[in-house]
Amino acid sequence: METTKMARAALLSLAIALVFLLAWESFWRSKGFIPTYNDDKALWAMKRTEIYQPSGSATVFIGSSRIKFNLDIPTWEKITGEKAVQLALVGTSPILTLQDLADDEKFAGKLVVDVTEPLFFSQNPAFHQSAKESVAYYHQQTPAEKVSTAIGLALESQLAFLEERRFSLNTLLNDIPLPNRPGVFQFPAFPKTFEWNTLNRQTYMSDMFLADSAALKRQTDIWAMLIMGNPEPPIAGKELDEVLAGIKTSVDKIRSRGGRVIFVRTPSSGPMEAGEQQAFPLEQYWSRLLDATDTPGIHYKDHPETAHYICPEWSHLSPTDAVDYTHHLVKQLGEKGWFALNKSDLVNP
Amino acid sequence: MLFNSYVFILFLGLALAIHYLPVSWKAKKANLLLAGYLFYAVWNPPFVLLLWLSTVVDFIIGKQLHQAENPAKRKALLAASLGVNLGMLGFFKYGGFLVDNFVLLASAAGIDFHPAAPDIILPVGISFYTFQTLSYTLDMYRKKHAPERSLLDFSLYVSFFPQLVAGPIVRTGDLLPQFKSPRQATSAQFMHGSLLLSLGLFMKIVLADGLLSGPADQVFGAPMALNIADAWLGVLAFSGQIFFDFAGYTTCAIGVAAMLGFSLPDNFRYPYAAVGFSDFWRRWHISLSTWLRDYLYIPLGGNRAGKVRTYINLMITMLVGGLWHGASWTFVAWGGLHGLYLTVEKWLESLREKRAARLTQAEPAMQPLIVEKSALPMSNPKVKTLLLVLLTFLLVNVTWVFFRAQDFATAWRLLASMFGLAPDGAALLPTIDMIKVLVVTVGLLLTHFLMRNTSVPELIHKSKWWTVGIAWGLMLVAIIVSQKSGGSFIYFQF
Repeated sequence: METTKMARAALLSLAIALVFLLAWESFWRSKGFIPTYNDDKALWAMKRTEIYQPSGSATVFIGSSRIKFNLDIPTWEKITGEKAVQLALVGTSPILTLQDLADDEKFAGKLVVDVTEPLFFSQNPAFHQSAKESVAYYHQQTPAEKVSTAIGLALESQLAFLEERRFSLNTLLNDIPLPNRPGVFQFPAFPKTFEWNTLNRQTYMSDMFLADSAALKRQTDIWAMLIMGNPEPPIAGKELDEVLAGIKTSVDKIRSRGGRVIFVRTPSSGPMEAGEQQAFPLEQYWSRLLDATDTPGIHYKDHPETAHYICPEWSHLSPTDAVDYTHHLVKQLGEKGWFALNKSDLVNP
Repeated sequence: MLFNSYVFILFLGLALAIHYLPVSWKAKKANLLLAGYLFYAVWNPPFVLLLWLSTVVDFIIGKQLHQAENPAKRKALLAASLGVNLGMLGFFKYGGFLVDNFVLLASAAGIDFHPAAPDIILPVGISFYTFQTLSYTLDMYRKKHAPERSLLDFSLYVSFFPQLVAGPIVRTGDLLPQFKSPRQATSAQFMHGSLLLSLGLFMKIVLADGLLSGPADQVFGAPMALNIADAWLGVLAFSGQIFFDFAGYTTCAIGVAAMLGFSLPDNFRYPYAAVGFSDFWRRWHISLSTWLRDYLYIPLGGNRAGKVRTYINLMITMLVGGLWHGASWTFVAWGGLHGLYLTVEKWLESLREKRAARLTQAEPAMQPLIVEKSALPMSNPKVKTLLLVLLTFLLVNVTWVFFRAQDFATAWRLLASMFGLAPDGAALLPTIDMIKVLVVTVGLLLTHFLMRNTSVPELIHKSKWWTVGIAWGLMLVAIIVSQKSGGSFIYFQF
């Protein structure tokens, strides 16, 4: 009696779960969503293990979301023959990641540091949190977590709804438009169609997003509020000196082991670019960064071929422009002797 | 390995498949033992050595303790076991805490002492399996049970994977006898276990991690005084989170054990429906509270040596209980507050008893009326119970502030906000988070109140199959939509 009852209940529950799962997946697929990967600390930690490659065979990238959109990894790997290890973190300053790599005695490779000034020079803990968590996770992750990550990635490659940023219960509840009390900050929800993430941690804008003017507008509104509306004045004076000294210490540690470091400022445009230039004048921040750390840099504005891009939502390149920009970046790095062979000779964007 | 991880599904599938192979019972037990070691090793492989050390030491000492008649030898053996187990716990869990406090004391005495900061990783679940093996040794010392003869069975008792890292802390008599004869779940038991596993995962993934951890983290992480509503909602969120997290783990553990054909004792009985603190501790983390009662409170004298001594014993027991949770004075404060509540409750009880005794000398016809009026001025017993439940819940929430706060400054700031002593406190939580906390808290209290005198198995037994099936299915749907939580169980750090 009890067995029959429990068996029926179990079958009914499985049927409900299965029907829901199929319906849920079909629903999001019908809206144009495709399987993509959670760009989380587990995936970051997995890529972090790939930094120990001979200097001539890989370049590690750290920074914020900009380099994740603006570097097209297949293009990079095709024309350089080198692996690109993408360790940049969305909405995050790379300074903690730089420190982590500097403190890792085994790392003596090539490192490109993406500079997005409002994040790079920020002392706001919120802009360092993701790096703090990812670095800690990498150092503390257990064998069980590694296996779970592998299984999770296999599932994410097949199921569109398995994407926390878009479809988790919390995200869906947070999407409900409810007014907040005065003074309460709620992180705005990016358009669900904004981006896809690949297994190698490249991020690119979806065609749905690029074709949707309302979504583009929503994203630019969010940038306006988050970055340009940031009431905190940029760091300066002694505080800036201390940050630069810390960066130099990290860079020197990597160089002392034979590693190489370069700073890269990739394109932004429109009001975002104007706001960044106004808040972080080139001479006071970018140039000082290069001087204080005695490190070379590539700024997109210094090269006519990369100074013209229009970012669809002001902050990141479209997938097509990312391919184009990557060709130029490889060439510019080649001119600075970044590659064992002078690959700039091979590049013809 | 976490129950709420993909790898656990594979692991459990494999463990169950081997368990139900037509092989000898000994081979099945060996499979469960290896599974336990694998389950533990995938966190940090070297720490399996601690499990082995604890197992071997207590197996050998337990045997000798039971045989030895010489009191001095018995005490020496007991001291050896306590030394190894508590020494291990002391080093890994309290090493840094002791050093920090020694430095503070030295500094207060004017001594400038700066030792190197200890870099000690806390082995997962060490407090749980240490207390479990200690209970075995103490039982052997008291000659309560015969010593276990099979090293395989004893090892399995220490390392039984469903409850290895966060309990329930199982006593010798509850689990070891189950290893003596082949265990295989009946179909109903297996499905019942699966349902409990689903329920536990629902509590952990959907409620604790999905809906409550965010608001709780936000409020406890706020560096400023908060609005009274935000402060209370943050604490309520944590109250719910810690229950769903820990009870979720235990429910999974009981479910997985049932799927293998074993029975584990309950660890929670709807604690937020408790009337008073004695009742709360009969409902919350039962395996720890009974452990502390049997191996600390009663040996200290319990309530047998007068009122004052009873109060002191209660306080010592709760302070140790607080320290068991973590190497921090905030946990001690949490335990101390519970000790204080229990002491006041006992004192009020004794006052009531005195008054009742006086009334027995009063007019016999008036007695029932006077007793009723003197207890609480409420004639409806349900309303009275509800009010006492809410009062207990409110006071429990105050204790959670110390439990969750990273330091006393945070705890005092939050308490000030909760009790209106921070008039300019900031509004912090978005409306949707406030709604989430309120809905879950009301649902939690209602469930506990309605279920306070029953249990999940009873409820399932009384329900129609389709009601169970729909509820079960909806839980699975909620787990699917919530997606991976990835969050470790809070009690793993203890």
